[in-house]
Amino acid sequence: MRFITLILRNLLRRRTRTVLTASGLAVAIASVLDLVGIASNFERSFLTIFVGKGIDLLVVRAGISNQLSSNLDQKLGDKLRGTEGVAQVAATLIDTVGFEGAGIASALINGWESGSPLFKGLRILEGRAFEPNEKNVAMLGRVLALNLGKKVGDKLDVAGEPFRVIGIYEGESLFDSGALVVPLATLQQMMGRESQVTGFVIQARSPDPVAIADLRKRIEAEFPGVAATPARDYVQRDVQIRLSRVMAWATTALALLLGSVGMLNTMIMAVFERTQEIGVLRALGWRRSRVLRLILGESVCLGLFGAALGMVLAVVGLRALLLAPTARGFIDPNLPPAVLFLGLILGLLLSILGGVYPAVRASLLDPSEALRHE
Amino acid sequence: MNEFPVQPSPLLRAEGLTKTYPDGEVQALRGVSLDVERNEAVAIMGPSGCGKSTLLNLLGGLDRPTEGEIYFRGTPLSQIDRDQYRAREVGFVFQSFYVLSTLSAVENVQVPMFETTLDRRQRVERAEALIEQVGLAHRRNHRPMQLSVGERQRVAIARALANEPSLLLADEPTGNLDSRSQNEVLQLLNDLHQRQGLTLIIITHSPEVAAAVQRVIRMRDGRVLEH
Ligand SMILES: Nc1ncnc2c1ncn2[C@@H]1O[C@H](COP(=O)(O)OP(=O)(O)OP(=O)(O)O)[C@@H](O)[C@H]1O
Ligand SMILES: [Mg+2]
Repeated sequence: MRFITLILRNLLRRRTRTVLTASGLAVAIASVLDLVGIASNFERSFLTIFVGKGIDLLVVRAGISNQLSSNLDQKLGDKLRGTEGVAQVAATLIDTVGFEGAGIASALINGWESGSPLFKGLRILEGRAFEPNEKNVAMLGRVLALNLGKKVGDKLDVAGEPFRVIGIYEGESLFDSGALVVPLATLQQMMGRESQVTGFVIQARSPDPVAIADLRKRIEAEFPGVAATPARDYVQRDVQIRLSRVMAWATTALALLLGSVGMLNTMIMAVFERTQEIGVLRALGWRRSRVLRLILGESVCLGLFGAALGMVLAVVGLRALLLAPTARGFIDPNLPPAVLFLGLILGLLLSILGGVYPAVRASLLDPSEALRHE
Repeated sequence: MNEFPVQPSPLLRAEGLTKTYPDGEVQALRGVSLDVERNEAVAIMGPSGCGKSTLLNLLGGLDRPTEGEIYFRGTPLSQIDRDQYRAREVGFVFQSFYVLSTLSAVENVQVPMFETTLDRRQRVERAEALIEQVGLAHRRNHRPMQLSVGERQRVAIARALANEPSLLLADEPTGNLDSRSQNEVLQLLNDLHQRQGLTLIIITHSPEVAAAVQRVIRMRDGRVLEH
């Protein structure tokens, strides 16, 4: 018989309690994994918006935390284009619109110039992109088109303005697929922001990070009040990304707390019920440290069992979430392996947090007192 | 035998043991001294509450005396590792058996062996041999619930022998047994004593058990009665 056999037998003896405790842990771990997974996929797809289009720098107004609130003069684009080391510049105006009829509270609307390098990141599934000087035409992301039930050629009302759908595209990221793209001039007019843009995206001549850092300094020195941020930093600094991260970690902390309290409860009960047995083990020559290992071993096995269950639940839960059409395209159904690994770490952490105190208490029991315990 | 002069010290010597339990100031022992020689079989008898179990727990290194000292082969217990003493030198047998219900007979016997350097195969081999020795080879894979009370106590005795102790301490080992099982267990203990030279200290209320040993120590109110 192995020591682990003894541990597992003890868990099996309290079968119902073991399963209940492990299920509790599993739910906590699964919700953490799904949240952290969604947040990290969110961040990754945010990043692919830029990377997919070969975007090296984002130019927005300095000192803002949310790109939507940035505001720059469209003419700045020509000046940027003339800056040394710049290959391409694309202006973009971003805002949000709602489609109440379809139950969509907020979708991103992008104003682009026709022929903008930004189109490189889109794959047109149906229809076409817009021509220069074309007005009130819209290209819909696949998910948005699905949710609105619109096809190429349909009429579409956007914030009170009549549009015609001329194309459906698939984006490289979740954001693109849930958004729509309209001509920059049309959006500027609609929003009363003539000759204004949210910012510019810049492709540098050299993808070398040192060259990009140089370009960034040059732009910021030459144009006061403007911030040029490398795409990766930009993503990590974005307030929504940060928010989703904070939420994921807050949930993790909460799950850890609740999970370890559950574990603590189960293990304290187990130790209390088995006081006499612990006395017997000590009488048979077991040291305090072995009693400690037995109880801690039980909680670690329980934690790992909960973690395994939690990982399965997390994967299944995420798939189930995708049955909702709104979630499709917005949520990546695959959990990165690193996130699944986090489940294992969580299970271990939980079981140690919740198991140490009962294990120490068990090991400190006075053997002759424990034997008298009924 | 040994070519050196035989040590004068007995296997176990208790000197002036007192034990006061912290709660309620119960004085369970009030000055107990005794010697137990190698290969001796001793019974401890006395009314309930007179301190028999308290004494046995002290002798087995499960608890410390308030005053006094116990010597094992001449060495004070206060100077040695009691866990190791219990694991290597002492086997405990209890009235209520205390075999682990989740483990089979042969697995129960292996429990004390976790504190030794035996590997898994050696543990199994040794446990099988012990189970056979107590006459339960045919029931080796049965759980305690499937065994009679007499068989359970025999498993407990095999378990007490797991690490080849020199001393077997039994607290009313036949107290929960019917007379047939009592005879079987008594027979087994006698065998171990006579064939293997195990030193036995048995707490008992049973005249049959007392009749089977060499010496009876009588206690009352925390003291040993002198004859
Ligand atoms: N851990 C303890 N804490 C407090 N009092 C104790 C403890 N253990 C024993 N006692 C008390 O010490 C006295 C002696 O107890 P002990 O168990 O040694 O008696 P005993 O002779 O074995 O009795 P029995 O034949 O009923 O088993 C009793 O009064 C008992 O209540
Ligand atoms: Mg007693």
